[in-house]
Amino acid sequence: MEKSNRLYVFIGVLIFIGIVFTIRLFFLQIVDTSNYYKAQAYGSNDITIYPARGTIVDRYGKLMVYNDAAYDLMVVPQKAKNFDKAFLCRELLLDTIEFNKRLKKAAKYNPREASVIYKNLPLHLYARLQEIIYQYPAFYIETKIDRRYNIKGAAHLLGYMGEVTEKQLEQDKYYKPGDIKGITGLERAYETYLRGKKGRKVVLVDKFSKQQGSFAGGKFDSLPIAGQNIISAIDLDLQVYGEQLLANKIGSIVAIEPATGEVLSIVNSPNYDPNLLVGQQRNKNFGRLLLDPMKPLFNRALKAPYPPGSTFKTVQALIGLQEGVLTPETRYPCHGGYHMGSITVGCHPHASPLDLKNSITKSCNAYYCFVYRSILDNPNYKSVQDAYVKWAEYLHSFAIGINTGIDLPEESGGIVKKPGYFEREFGKNWRSSNVISMSIGQGQIGLTPLQMANVAAIIANKGFFYTPHVVRSIGDQHFVPPEFRKKRYTMISASNFDTIIAGMAKVCLPGGTAGRTGIPGIEICGKTGTAQNPHGEDHSIFIAFAPRENPKIAICVIVENGGFGADYAAPIANLMIERYLAKDRTVPSQKPELLSRMLKANLTGKPVSTVDSAKLNKPK
Amino acid sequence: MEEKLHIDWLSVILYILIVLFGAVNIYSANSGVDEALRLDFSKEYGKQVLFIGISAIVVFLILLTDYKFFNFSANGFYILVIGMLLVLLATGSFNKGAQAWFKIGSFKLQPSEFAKYATALALAKFLGAFDVKFEGRRNILICFGIILFPMLLTLLQNDTGSALVFASFILVLYREGLSGWWLLLGVYLVLIFVLTILLPSIHIIGFLFLLLGLLIYFNRKRKQLIVMASAIFLISAFYILSLDFVFSRVLKPHQQQRILVTLNQDVDEYYIKKSSGFSIFKFEKKESKDKSESKRDYSYNVRQSKISIGAGRWLGNGFNNGTQTKAKLVPEQHTDFIFCTVGEEYGFLGSALFVMLYLLLIGRIYYLAERQKNVFSRVFGYSTASIIFFHFFVNIGMALGLLPVIGIPLPFMSYGGSSLISFSMLLFTFLKLDANRVNEISRIY
Repeated sequence: MEKSNRLYVFIGVLIFIGIVFTIRLFFLQIVDTSNYYKAQAYGSNDITIYPARGTIVDRYGKLMVYNDAAYDLMVVPQKAKNFDKAFLCRELLLDTIEFNKRLKKAAKYNPREASVIYKNLPLHLYARLQEIIYQYPAFYIETKIDRRYNIKGAAHLLGYMGEVTEKQLEQDKYYKPGDIKGITGLERAYETYLRGKKGRKVVLVDKFSKQQGSFAGGKFDSLPIAGQNIISAIDLDLQVYGEQLLANKIGSIVAIEPATGEVLSIVNSPNYDPNLLVGQQRNKNFGRLLLDPMKPLFNRALKAPYPPGSTFKTVQALIGLQEGVLTPETRYPCHGGYHMGSITVGCHPHASPLDLKNSITKSCNAYYCFVYRSILDNPNYKSVQDAYVKWAEYLHSFAIGINTGIDLPEESGGIVKKPGYFEREFGKNWRSSNVISMSIGQGQIGLTPLQMANVAAIIANKGFFYTPHVVRSIGDQHFVPPEFRKKRYTMISASNFDTIIAGMAKVCLPGGTAGRTGIPGIEICGKTGTAQNPHGEDHSIFIAFAPRENPKIAICVIVENGGFGADYAAPIANLMIERYLAKDRTVPSQKPELLSRMLKANLTGKPVSTVDSAKLNKPK
Repeated sequence: MEEKLHIDWLSVILYILIVLFGAVNIYSANSGVDEALRLDFSKEYGKQVLFIGISAIVVFLILLTDYKFFNFSANGFYILVIGMLLVLLATGSFNKGAQAWFKIGSFKLQPSEFAKYATALALAKFLGAFDVKFEGRRNILICFGIILFPMLLTLLQNDTGSALVFASFILVLYREGLSGWWLLLGVYLVLIFVLTILLPSIHIIGFLFLLLGLLIYFNRKRKQLIVMASAIFLISAFYILSLDFVFSRVLKPHQQQRILVTLNQDVDEYYIKKSSGFSIFKFEKKESKDKSESKRDYSYNVRQSKISIGAGRWLGNGFNNGTQTKAKLVPEQHTDFIFCTVGEEYGFLGSALFVMLYLLLIGRIYYLAERQKNVFSRVFGYSTASIIFFHFFVNIGMALGLLPVIGIPLPFMSYGGSSLISFSMLLFTFLKLDANRVNEISRIY
């Protein structure tokens, strides 16, 4: 080959190399997409920015639940060199040995990543550190958001937060392991509103996982959207008052605004401070509460079915009237009780015979044995069983035996047995006499305090109710779930309520079963109940609404082992009503001796409530 | 008579484009994320701008210099650089551990970069002299001597990459008359070398023996061919066995690993495979003493390089937006792995265009070299093109995972003052010579 022609060999080689490189580039960049995906994964770190959780206020706008910042001092151990350790320790009020120990622990965990060296900095240390932190490039303060509760009670109502479980992770893709969500109460029920929307920041990281800045010019980043604030129907002042009244007693109070179904307060006792289940001590405190024999975590108001006792007579009378087996004029005799063969249902001494109105006022047991038997033995039905089924249907229309549908989790529907239950108990042809105790709300019947309060609301509304709800509206747009505005009618005609209400109106007046508990100037319609309890002293129960015309509040109070309905439940209910209806809450109660007796009463033998009554006694 | 500067503007424009593109990519690889665009002379990209300025001055001076100066000073320059390399070697032996640079203030001067330039000048001068051709044992030996002496000195500094670059002079010698068979032999040796690593030696020798058998069978009458083929076979077999020896005994663990990683070989598997076949050498895995020289580091480098380039897809992430680049996931990205930035930020279209423009520049230099009227200019031109080509080929091949990791810069692109200035000197010295070619002719007529 002529030497000058060797140029073409060179040019040929260049072209060949060009082709080889281009093919290789095409393979790496276009054909093999794995590199592209690896690049996405390697250089980035997906950081979740948590939104501020929604706050919860009471019906007057008083803050109940909010977020508070907690500050941790963080350290990147690798960078923590050549700094004035003695000075920093002095500022942190830590001794150098302890500081070194923590630093060593952090370095052991991961020398390149930030670890906590001082958890939950007290505010004065935080303020001081803010000024000097710039001298310590290896240290920085991380702000955490913690839930704070403005009330030391209402724990069951507000609920607590906790880490999501694996199952929840699977169900809701919103959560990532380690996320915190509402576990009970409002925190859980309104989780999807309160939590907001997480933001995302994808940062560029180098091979040491060190953040370098935003990834791909921030095109994957999004800002968090704060959770929606919730306006609850709770009357915080009433709630606190109820907790004071129920302190050192076991029981619960549920108060509802009949005209709307808004829940004014839900008091449980024993109770606990919801702030216990926040922050560092959460797990320790939770364990303590869980093991407490008084079961402070148990939500009695929504979950415990109590025999309603005599308060149930109102329901029995209404069903009897509706079924036509009872008229306001119907009189039944009572001679110390109801006697039928071997069965005797005792009654306290009172005039006999009584009409319907007075049977409520005097709470005659015998009267309701007659009423219930007339309902079950109604010849319009083929059998007692059929009549029972119809009766149970009435109860369901009162939201008894079924969930009321309150906007709180973990509700119990109470107890209304199916006819099959009695067949198993008493044989196929069981009779009305077998279930006679239910006529006065004992035996195979159970209502939660919420259901009893709802019964009071139904009577106040003369036949209908709204699903009880703790929340008034959600978010800045004041969204109200449509189901809160839906009237739910019972199977009782409005006209049938008048006699019952008339009877209830006299309960708190002299001559009534709770005659000494009335509040002057307020027409309270109530019904006492004294539920027999195989485990000890009777439960004191009272349902009421007030005022008689245009009722503003319907209430149920249960005090376990409180004796007669008039002993504790009625006074507490009436004090609650007085408080709620008072235009000026700072005006002292008209029944100071009743109030002080209730506040002082201790039915447990030991303090059970975490509510510091001395502190909360001051009206706001 | 007014002398016009008949410089080859195509080369100049390509040069300027590549140098500026290089600075842009160094900025991408070197600046922080979300950092405001500004010139920071304490950072590498800032310094590179400084080096570009120095290069411009050097280029200007070269263009002002009389063309005869280069021929005249070639030997002096060669001796100067050799002297510098020897001084480095001497001080290195005192300081325990070789150094490849002189420190001048905060800058490092790397004589091995200028050694290529000096060698090109010296070789051109020798072959450009009257009555000297690349013929005869003496002349050939002198040529190889000129090339091998600085190569050896660079090798002794443990700068294997820079030393290997001197192999590019083979291409110049090929143009000057070296038989093409030598180049084919080189390719053959490299091929056998790769096969030796991939397969047990006995298999390759067996395969070659089979080929020899077939060749002999079909060419029974041609005794001369049979003797030749048998000799080649025996030499090959010896070569293969000595490769095994060199690879297992002479090469250092990190060198072994670099080669194995390039060929997608797992080091542990390699030893199992090699010891399974017949071999007269025992293959024992040598553990690297230096942890940083572990296998992972090399495979990491190549893998990150491929990921980074692959992340570019068709059009790339755009200037300063390469995620791998900004996260500094590819080690040495602003120097030897600068092509990763091109791949990631400008995608397939950008990097393919870049490769083509670069090859156009090299091809242009070869073309210009061939049209030289005097041997000095031609040899120097071929040297220039071949050195740049060798750097380009090895550097891009390494970034694409086609060649072992050999730390040599991409001319005009990679960060580094010595590199940029020496390559600028190389290119513009030749362009000055080329410009003069026209003047020479115009003077004759």
